[in-house]
Formats: sequence, C-alpha cells, structure tokens
Amino acid sequence: MGRELLRIEHLHKEFEGKTVLDDLSLTLREGEVAVIVGPSGCGKSTLLRCVNALEPVQGGSIFLDGEEIHADPRKLPQLRQKVGMVFQSYELFPHKSILDNITLAPRMVQKRGREDAEAEALALLERVGLADRAKDYPRQLSGGQKQRVAIVRSLIMHPALMLFDEVTAALDPEMVREVLDVLLDLAKQGRTMLIVTHEMQFARAVADRILFLDDGGIVEEGRPLDFFDHPKTERAQRFLNTFTFETVKE
Amino acid sequence: MQALGFEVLWKGKNFARLMGGLWVALRISLIAVGISLVAGVLMGALMTRKNPVVKALTRLYLETVRIMPQMVLLFLAFFGTTRWFGWNLSGETASVIVFALWGTAEMGDLVRGALESIPRHQYESAAALGLDGKQSFLYVILPQTLRRLLPQVINLVTRMIKTTSLVLMIGVVEMLKVAQQIIEANRMKVPNAAFGVYLTVLVLYFLACWPVSLLAKALEKRWS
Amino acid sequence: MLNTKKVLALTLTLLFVFALIPAAAQAAPVYRSLDEIKADGTINIGVFSDKNPFGYVDENGEYQGYDVYFAERIGKDLGVKINYVSTEAANRVEYLETGKVDIILANFTVTPERAEKVDFALPYMNVALGVVSPDSRVITDLSELSADDPVIVISGTTAETYLIANNPEVKLQKYDTYANAKNALENGNGVAWANDNTEVIAFALQNAGYTVGIPSLGSQDTIAPAVSKGNDTLLKWLNDEIVSLADEQFFHKDYEATLAETYGLDYEDSLVVEGGTVKAE
Repeated sequence: MGRELLRIEHLHKEFEGKTVLDDLSLTLREGEVAVIVGPSGCGKSTLLRCVNALEPVQGGSIFLDGEEIHADPRKLPQLRQKVGMVFQSYELFPHKSILDNITLAPRMVQKRGREDAEAEALALLERVGLADRAKDYPRQLSGGQKQRVAIVRSLIMHPALMLFDEVTAALDPEMVREVLDVLLDLAKQGRTMLIVTHEMQFARAVADRILFLDDGGIVEEGRPLDFFDHPKTERAQRFLNTFTFETVKE
Repeated sequence: MQALGFEVLWKGKNFARLMGGLWVALRISLIAVGISLVAGVLMGALMTRKNPVVKALTRLYLETVRIMPQMVLLFLAFFGTTRWFGWNLSGETASVIVFALWGTAEMGDLVRGALESIPRHQYESAAALGLDGKQSFLYVILPQTLRRLLPQVINLVTRMIKTTSLVLMIGVVEMLKVAQQIIEANRMKVPNAAFGVYLTVLVLYFLACWPVSLLAKALEKRWS
Repeated sequence: MLNTKKVLALTLTLLFVFALIPAAAQAAPVYRSLDEIKADGTINIGVFSDKNPFGYVDENGEYQGYDVYFAERIGKDLGVKINYVSTEAANRVEYLETGKVDIILANFTVTPERAEKVDFALPYMNVALGVVSPDSRVITDLSELSADDPVIVISGTTAETYLIANNPEVKLQKYDTYANAKNALENGNGVAWANDNTEVIAFALQNAGYTVGIPSLGSQDTIAPAVSKGNDTLLKWLNDEIVSLADEQFFHKDYEATLAETYGLDYEDSLVVEGGTVKAE
C-alpha cells in the first residue's frame, strides 16, 4: 500500500438538525479499495457525497492529498478533478453523445485537445466493451451500458480517487455483473476506490478493507474474510444475517 | 371572389401598404423577441436564486408585467414617459420596450420552470467532473433547458407577433391598422371588404408565424 | 392567488393614476407654442386614419377626408409641413395632454368633460342625432311612435344614452353592431333607427326606400379642433383662421369635396359650421 491519500477527521454532518454522520474518522491509502456496507439510511451515500463536497459538513475536516476539501469553495473544481464519482442513476448528459459526454470535462476543465481526448475516450470505451456506441446517445443504451459510460467519463479525468455510490442499485440483475466486472478490473489496476454497495459477494471479492457503517459511525472494519466470516460486533452479525436464508424445504 | 371584397387589395398601393404594415409588426416583434430571449435566460437564472430579495424583486417584476394589460403598458411607455420624464419616444420604440419587457418576464418564467425541472443530479454530476458553476450552466444545464423550452418559446413568440396589433393604440400603423384603413376607405363602395381583407391578414399572420414553427420542428427533430 | 393578483393589479393601477395627476398639474408646458411650431417647420396633427369620410387613408396611402382637408389648409397658411399622426377615439385627449400632437382634428365632439382637459377652438361642423325610417311610414317626430313601436339603436352609442335619458317612453331594440342594426331595420324588426345624424343620412342615401324623418334630434353638438390645455397662441391662431376662412366659405368647399358624396348636398347647411358660428335653429 502506498501513501495516505484521503483522511477524514471527526466528520460531523446533519440534515435539518438530525445527525447523519457522527465523529467519523477514516484514512485511505493509495491503491486501496475500501467498501462501505451497512443498512439503508446509515449515512453511506452521505459520506461519499461529503468527500466530493456535494454536501456541506457541520464539523471535522476532509483532506485529499493533504489539501482540505471544504476549506475554499473556489478550489473545489480543481480538487474535484482528483476525485471521480459515479452515481446510482448514471447521470449522463442526455443532450450529448456518448463520446461528447466523456470528452466534455477533459476538454473544458483540463483544456485538452479534442483529438487527444477522443482518442483516450475511445480507448477507455474499448476497455469496457462499448467502443461501437461512441456516436450513440444515452437514451439508446441499456442501464448497464450507461453505467459503464459513466465510469469511463470519470476515469478520463485521471482521478486519484474513485467514489462509487451504489452503482448497481438501479440495474436489472442481468446487468449488474457487467458493471461489477469493470470495477474488479479497476481494482486489479491498483486504483484507489471507495465503494458503497449492497452486493456482498462483490464486496468480499474486490475489497482490501470493509467498513461497516451504522447510525452515522464506523461500527466495525477489517479485512473482507474476517468481516464476512467472523464479524466481531453483534450489529454486524445481524446485518449480515439479513443476506442469508435458511432452507425451508427438504 | 367579388363578394368577399378582395378587389380592394389591388387598388392603388393597398397590398404594398398591407405588406408594409406586416413588416412594421414583424420588425417590432422580432427585435422584442430577440431581446426577450437573451434577457429572459438571464432573468430565469436570476429567478432560481435563493436570495429572498432577488426572488421578491423578480417576482414583483413578473407579476406586474403580467397583470398589466399590454394596452396599459403601451400607454405608460408612450404617454407616461412623456408625462413623467419628458421623453418623446416614438410609438415604435415604446412598443419594442413594452414587448421586450413583457417577453423577458414571460421568457424568464419559462426558463425558471425549465431550469427547475432539470434534476439536481445533473448539476452534481457536472460538479463532480470538475466543471465550475459557469461551465456547468453553459454546457450541461442550459442546453437541456433550451430543449425543454422550445415548444413554449415558440408559443410565446407567435403570441408576441400577434399581440403587436395593439400598437395601433399608440399611433403605430401596423398590418391590422392598415387593414382597418383599407376597409374603412372602401366602406361605401365595397361594404363587405372586411371579409376579404381580414382573411388576407389572417393568412399573412399565419405565413409570418409558420417559419417559426417550421424552425421549431426542425430543431426538435435534430435534438430528439 | 387570483385574489392577490387582482388586489395587486388594482393597487398598481391606482398608483399609476395617482402618479399621473400631479405630474400633469405641475409639469412645464408640454405643448409647443405657435412660434415653436413655425420655427420647427412641421406641425403634428392627430387625425383618424380609418373614419371615412372624416379622416382616412386612401389607396395611395394619402390622408383624406373632411378633417384632413382642413388640416392641409392649416399647414399651408402656417407655412409648415404636416406630420399626420393616426389617432384612435380613446387616445385623442392623451395625445394633447402629453403634447405628442399639436392639434387634434379627429371628428372631436365638444363636451364639457373634454373641455376640462383640452382647449377646443371654434367649431367647424354640427352633429346631432337623427332617425331614419322606411318610406312606407316616415317618422318625423318621436310622438308619432306608439307604445309597441320599437326603435333600433346600437348599444353604447349616444343615441341610446340620449333616448333613455330624454324619451324613456320610447321602446328600444338594441343591437351590438352596425350590421345587425341594419339587418333589423331592413327586416322590419323596428319602425325606425336612431343614430348619429351623419350615419342615418348616409344610410338613407345609399338604401332606396328609407327617409331621414328626424335629421336633428335633441341638443346639437359641435365638432371642433382641439389643442393642449393652455396653448393660447396656437388656439388664437386657429380661431382667427376659422373666422377668416368664412369669407371664402371654406368649410362648404370642404364639405362638397369630401362629404357630399356620402351625405348629399341637402344637409350641407345643417352640417357645416362656417366662421365658427352655429346658426340658431
């Protein structure tokens, strides 16, 4: 594992007086893949959104590569280039072709040339098996395809850290796999990732570390094998039990 | 065709006068539409601001311009500015001002509605890619807004073209006024000229508004 | 929502009305004096552009009519060019109050209410109400009407107001438009039609079988030029002009050139006012 990339210290976040994240601290090293699991409403997605400063925080601080994220709003666009985020609902830009969706940010934000940006976009699309869809528009693609494009759109900015917010939750089951395969591939390349998911088998396969979040705080963390096979806390055990079923018929 | 009184249109310069009147109507409405489209986008962007003062002021502007009949606005712009400030605006200038003010208010409200209908996540995904506020508005939000706006804007533009007939109240002789002049000049000799002349006016208004809806259809096709 | 809107609208309207009153009262003269007009070389005259035969635009785009004939003479005698402004009945007073025209010559009937806001010069025409009826039974006096003899009027006209106020015993049959009233008379729905006398005279002239039995009903009104309130130099010049034009019987010539075709020569003397003096009946 490399040097420290993300550090969250005593993060406090509330919505209209209700505490969502409570004194949460966490560090992530370069090349590390951390998967956040936990019951609905435990604050997983909010945590990701705070890291990207899509949500204001009420206390604590978040450092990316040593720079505090919430300190200066004018620096945000710069900092966000280092953080890629993929949303549950893809959020491709419907009025732009797949290629234009991907090349918009590199061209406008990083001022890269069109040819350069398009060449890389096509290479990345090739890698996720969608090179032939470059000229299409988002509405012509299936959910799984759209999500793969959204991942490419983030990757082309060469972010140091990738955030995935329940990226398979809106997909039909047969499309989940094609997206998760892309994430597994990224993990193999040694990318630093913070992933929120409900796919426990996938979490076990991809993670270096599992963070179990409940009631706005990290209740338990550890290596996947330890967490899934020998959860230490009672709350984690109860959570994991909701994914197993007893056989009811002989 | 004699019975409909079309023949009065071919007397002297009548048809040319009618076309001249159409040009006056189009000149006023097109300049006003041009101003409204640009200023309306800015107005709409202002109207989505959270600042309560900005909100109240834009709201007051919109409601005022909307509630006041255009006729009253025309009188205020033409006669009122002379009374209060001693300005001597021409009827056409006053008309352009009134229609631009009205169009900006209506356009602003349409833009506000369209902006608010763009999902919050579109702003967020643009921000997450590192686009700043201006870039996000220009490249992501505005193009989607304009596509949503298109049908309503076309409606507004044709409404503006047709409403220009009111400017006859401040001495601007546009197509409808010319039509009335032609009908009245012939009221003894061709008492039913009204049918033919108004029918012609109707067709000319249609021909003026038609290209606008053709353009809209073409754009809609290109964007869909 | 609708109520708040209505209240807001009312408030705004009142605000504007109140804003208008003091502005009009205290402002420096809005009008141009006679010398200023002469120095400028152009006079602005407000005329109707669609009231044939008083003020209208012919097929060559030229202003014509009884009012315009007089306007042309004003321009000639003042030695200035004329800029015709197309006015509507509803904005004639406003044009003078803001000085946007120097003279209104638009079939402007003299009334006490208007005289508070504008200054009328001497009259150049008479108007009164008239009653037209079929030749088979020409009504020459309202007393000839029995209780079930309806008289046709157009809603909102002076004729309607006058008859309701002065002859409440007359049974009225009201129509919204000129065309409907005309049809009603032709179909015999009413025994007579009361309207401005110019209108009924023109009708009788164009439709055989009808006679204007009462050419002048009730008080006679006059038509006069008007200038902005207080524009005494221009007013005096206009009055002198009208008086001096009597020598050449100018308004008779005007009538013959513009109105005779519509109203015939029979009514020339009763309609024209020469030298600003209305002849006693």
